[in-house]
Parts: sequence; structure tokens; C-alpha cells
Amino acid sequence: MMGESKNWILMATARAPTNIAVIKYWGKRDEALILPINDSISVTLDPDHLSATTTVAVSPSFEKDRMWLNGKEVSLSGGRYQNCLRELRNRAGEYTDENKGIHIEKYDWNTLHVHIASYNNFPTAAGLASSAAGFACLVFSLAKLMNVKEDLSQLSTIARQGSGSACRSLYGGFVKWTMGNEMSGSDSIAVQLANETHWDDLVIIVAVVSSRQKETSSTSGMRESVETSSLIQHRAKVVVPSRILQMEQAIRNKDFSSFARLTCADSNQFHAVCLDTSPPILYMNDTSHRIISIVERWNRHEGTPTVAYTFDAGPNAVIVAPNQKVAMDLLQRLLFYFPPARDNELSSYVLGDKKILHEFGLESLSSIEGLQPPPEAKDKGLAQRYGGDVSYFICTRPGKGPAILVGEDQALISIQTGLPK
Amino acid sequence: MWLNGKEISLSGGRYQNCLRELRNRAGEYTNENKGIHIEKYDWNTLHVHIASYNNFPTATGLASSAAGFACLVFSLAKLMNVKEDLSQLSTIARQGSGSACRSLYGGFVKWTMGNEMSGSDSIAVQHANETHWDDLVIIVAVVSSRQKETSSTSGMRESVETSSLIQHRAKVVVPNRILQMEQAIRNKDFSSFARRTCADSNQFHAVCLDTSPPILYMNDTSHRILSIVERWNQHEGTPMVAYTFDAGPNAVIVAPNQKVANDLLQRLLFYFPPARDNELSSYVLGDKKILHEFGLESLSSIEGLQPPPPEAKDKAPAQRYGGDVSYFICTRPGKGPAILVGEDHALISCQT
Repeated sequence: MMGESKNWILMATARAPTNIAVIKYWGKRDEALILPINDSISVTLDPDHLSATTTVAVSPSFEKDRMWLNGKEVSLSGGRYQNCLRELRNRAGEYTDENKGIHIEKYDWNTLHVHIASYNNFPTAAGLASSAAGFACLVFSLAKLMNVKEDLSQLSTIARQGSGSACRSLYGGFVKWTMGNEMSGSDSIAVQLANETHWDDLVIIVAVVSSRQKETSSTSGMRESVETSSLIQHRAKVVVPSRILQMEQAIRNKDFSSFARLTCADSNQFHAVCLDTSPPILYMNDTSHRIISIVERWNRHEGTPTVAYTFDAGPNAVIVAPNQKVAMDLLQRLLFYFPPARDNELSSYVLGDKKILHEFGLESLSSIEGLQPPPEAKDKGLAQRYGGDVSYFICTRPGKGPAILVGEDQALISIQTGLPK
Repeated sequence: MWLNGKEISLSGGRYQNCLRELRNRAGEYTNENKGIHIEKYDWNTLHVHIASYNNFPTATGLASSAAGFACLVFSLAKLMNVKEDLSQLSTIARQGSGSACRSLYGGFVKWTMGNEMSGSDSIAVQHANETHWDDLVIIVAVVSSRQKETSSTSGMRESVETSSLIQHRAKVVVPNRILQMEQAIRNKDFSSFARRTCADSNQFHAVCLDTSPPILYMNDTSHRILSIVERWNQHEGTPMVAYTFDAGPNAVIVAPNQKVANDLLQRLLFYFPPARDNELSSYVLGDKKILHEFGLESLSSIEGLQPPPPEAKDKAPAQRYGGDVSYFICTRPGKGPAILVGEDHALISCQT
């Protein structure tokens, strides 16, 4: 590299999805390496609606590693960022581009600095696991830039050290994060159970619940649970291993009934362990509980699980329907119980996949006022409505894993300046 | 039987069990003056009229069946001349409503689960009487609730059938906690008492959540009360009060003494003012002595209450939730069942 032009900038841009766990990760056996106490399984959500986009750039002219998140510069000094950067630099490969006069030796990556610009297409405050998408994207894009020759499972061990659940965002479809046994964490990796086309009838509706409270962070919350809950080890050692096997089977067979039962049960058990923590952690609020009651009442009325719900470390609900038809029934119920604060804002109240929304006939839904209570609620006086309790809905489906975006118009960093556009 | 003035059926299994068990243990009774002579076996053919009345509303979820069945058994045992001690009577009350067995004693009571299939050793025993730790002040927050709760009976059955955490709780966690709680009570160790009480309330609700379908007894107001206490405890670096929630949204909060109870009530009235300010006398009820020491009569206005508690000051202006609590009851640990003498106490007319 010596003696050549120092003004070149090499860039890579990627987009990575977020994921929602259906068998939950909660509790570490190693804080530094982020090794969990049990396996977890997730569904990757379509990155068209919920994703992180990251451009990483390298140049001899950069004086230090810098990162911008949603336009604002953030520090890279934290352990998690440093772990990811170090692991990737250790695995970086030689790179040559004769035309641009670029020749980077393997060891050069240790002295070259990077600029990182990342952007989420959903609000961080919405509690939609932006760090999973963010770290997966960071690792995926840097691996591309630094010519890292490792497969996605190996890259997942690096993303894992940024944010545990990020490892599951290295794949699309259904993903398992195997807890592993090694102290080094080399076998604590994500593997793909099935890709996004395997069970593509599924429709997922996220209810972003209005929340005024600052949530307990997952990192400190799960640490407190491990330290103080007398139920968590039983969950990790006895309950989850059995559920993992059952869930793998349910996914393999596209057995929605089993999938739904396991998903709801594991969400509830995760929140049960949070409540069993000292001091107790309360992520779900009355709106979350109402959504659970609405689904449970509907399931009881039908005599079988019709949809599945799951809640992460916050009040938002993620509800999975087996197909478009049921998703429409679901959305009708949700819009009945949770009308928008003002009726004329439907187009900014139900967001997401245009095809799904079109099939709802959302454009022709003139009035939420006119919606009827669902059959299971009519006789029992359970038709109270809670306008304003939900901020908005996002309709999506299982989606693809991370992908490189080609073309400089996709880049978030200017090829001229090396700074965010 | 008449309950709160309304006739109800005695045909249910629980009432029948209690009546049968008491009749089996009934004794001979003679009153020469009144010309009454009842043989032991006569109790099987004689019929009873039962009138019962709770001095608190049933709808508030304050475990009226525990008091009700304990009273039924205690009074029938007296009437039928049953010569058994309170622990033995508790096995009969237990068959009416589980927690009723613990209402046969005052103070601190343990319901030993027992091992026998007959249930003969599943009894209540008194761990300490009501004078042992009589500094304690208990405030019950009756939380407004529009939802019909899952009954305890069906709820706990569903938990046993579907929760994968309940057996671990029962076999591993609770036995240990029972020993620690007995020690805390014996030593009047409030810090330990509070930590165990809160932890067990939360674990109970955790098991309810772990049930299929999940049982959600606490609501946002319950959670707020819990958070208020946790924040206060954290601020002081030690448990100030203990909270516990049963199968409903009501909070039962225990303070170690009157002074802390005053601080507690101030906080509760700050966060949960009455819906209309002029109803204070019907908003904080209960033990007159406790209320007097709190200075309730001279508290003309909730608006004029102290500023927010210190632990709330640093953050955004503390939000208040008027109307979320229906009312408060201030009380203390108390005595067990007692016979009331004098016909003016009777709920049934001696004539009719």
C-alpha cells in the first residue's frame, strides 16, 4: 500500500433485518462474550419495512473510527463495538483493486480506520429491536468491506458479541441461536432452520403500543433475572430445551396450532420470569394485556389458536396470523378495539407491506367507527374500545436475511468526503 | 342460608362438606331451662338456618370466602357442641375454601400442606398471635376494576395443569421461603419479611402469567403501586414497606410501624387522590386510631398535601392517578374468630 494514492475510499452498503424471538433469549452465562443460558428461535421480519441500512467506508485519509447512527455521531468506544471491530479485523482478508490503485494487506486493516453510517427505517423509541438489525448490519457490511471469508454462522458469532439477538438477524426465515457449550463461545452460533419461503403464508402485525415509561434495558434486566429469579434456571434447563424441539418440529411441519401455542406460552413465561425478578420487571402494560385477552378470547371462541402473540422487552405486540384471510380478521379486530386517535389518519395508522394492506381493502375502509365488535365479544359486553392506546400498526411477513446494496445512490456515506451524506 | 341478606343455595359440594363434617363431630347438647335435649345423632336430622354478613363489599375481592367459611365452621362448631381444637376445625373450613383454614387463628398462621391423602394433616397452625408484632400497620388499596376476575378455584387448577414453573415453585422455592418467613416473623425482621412477601406475591403472579391461557390479575394501577413501593425502597436502600397482591388488582401494603404507615399513606394519597376531593372521609377507612395518628381529620384537602416524595423529584413531574383507587382501608394484624354474645348481635330473629 505504501507509495500509492492515499485518497481512495472503499465502501460497502448492506441492509439487515430485525427478528422477533418466538422462543426467547433471556439470561446470559457470560456477560462479556454474550453467551446465553438457553437456545432461542426467531422469525426474521421483512427488511422492506423494518431494517437497518449501513454503509461502511475505509480510507487511509480517515484519522479514526467513527460512527453515525440515524444521522447523529455516536461513540464506538464501548466494549460491544470494539469486540465486533476487533473480531472482523482479525478475520479480514487481503483486497486489491488495480483500477482504483487499492491494495490492502491483511494486516493493514488493523491500522486503517473506518467510517460507519447506519440508519433504521423504524423509530428506535418504538422498541422494535433496532440493535439486532443494527449489529447484524454492521457485521455483515464490514465483513464484505474487509473481505472476510466466513459463512453466516461464523459471522453470527461476531454479531452476537455486539448484541445477542443480532446473531439471529444474519439469516432470513426461521433462525435458531444455539447456546453452545464452549467457554470461548465459538459454538454459540445462529443457524437457519428454514428460509423465508418455507412458510410464506404467514402475516405478521406489529402493534406499536403507546408507552410513556422508560423500559428497563434488556441487558440489565436479564442480568437481574439471572441473579434474582428462582424460576429462570428451571426455565433454561428444563422447559426451553423441550420447547425448542417442539418449535423446530412445528416450523418444519408448518403446524400453526403448535407454533401458536408455543409462541404464546414462551412469551408469557419470559414475562413471568421478569415478574419473578427482584425488583420485578414489568414490560407489558394494560394495552398489552388487552391484546392478549382479545387473542385468547378469539382462540377460545374458535376452539383452536387462530393467531399467535409475542411480546419482547416492551409493551409492543407482535401477532402472527397463518395467512392473509386470518390476518384480515385480526386487523379488523385490532382496529375495532384500538381505533386511531383521530379517524382520518388511517393511512398513517396502518403501515407496512403494500400488498397485505391492499388485500385488506384498507383504502376502501371509510370509517373505523362503523366497525362491529367481533362475534366472541358481542354477547358479553366486551365491546369497549380503546382509541389512542396503540400508536400504529405495521403489517409485514417473514423476510430475507442481510443483503449487500449495490450502487452509490444506496450508500449513506459520500464517496467524495467519506462523511455521511 | 342467607348471605348479605340474600338467600343462597347450600347444595354445592363445599357447603355440604362442611355441614357433613361438623354433623359427624357434633356433640350432645342439653338446656334444661329451655327444654332442649339434642342427642349426637339428632344433628343429622335437624336442619339449620344460616345468616351471614360481610362488613366489606364482596365485589372488592377481599377474600370474603375465607372469612365466610371460617365463620360458618366456627359458629356451627359452637352450636353443635363440637369438641375440637382450632387446628382440627381448620380442616373443615379448608374444605369450604382453602384459605379459610387460616382464618381460624389470629396473628400469623401457617397452613401446612400435609402429606396424608385423607387431608387430616393439612391444617392451619398459629405461628404467632396478633400481639407478637403489633406495630405493623396494613393498608389495603381497593383498586377500581371493571373486569370479572378469573376465579381462584379455576385459575389455580389451570395453573397446575398448564404451568411448567409451578411444580418447581412448589417443591423447591416455597419450602425454603416458608422457613425464612417463619424466622422473619419470629424475629420481627421487617426487612426480611418485606423482601419475601414481595417476592412471593410476584412469583404467584408470574405463575399465573405462565398459565395457558394466561391469568392477569394485576392491572396498571397495581403495577403503579408496585413501582411506587420499589422506587421508595430503592431510594432508601432498604425495604420500607411490603406489598402483596392476591387474585385481583387490590394491593395490601404492610408498614413496620405507624410512622412509616403515615409516610406510606401520604405517598398513596399523593399518587392516588380521590376522584373528588371532598370525599376524604369515605376514601380512607378503617382503624380509627391509625387514621387519627395520621392526622386525617385535620387533612382538609388532598391538593394541599405534601410535595411529591423525594424519590420522584429528580425525574419528570410526578404524574397523579386520581380515581384509580376506589378507597383505602387501614388496619393491623388481628384476632381470630370469636363468639358474639347477646341477641342483639344475632342476624337471625330468635322469634322467627
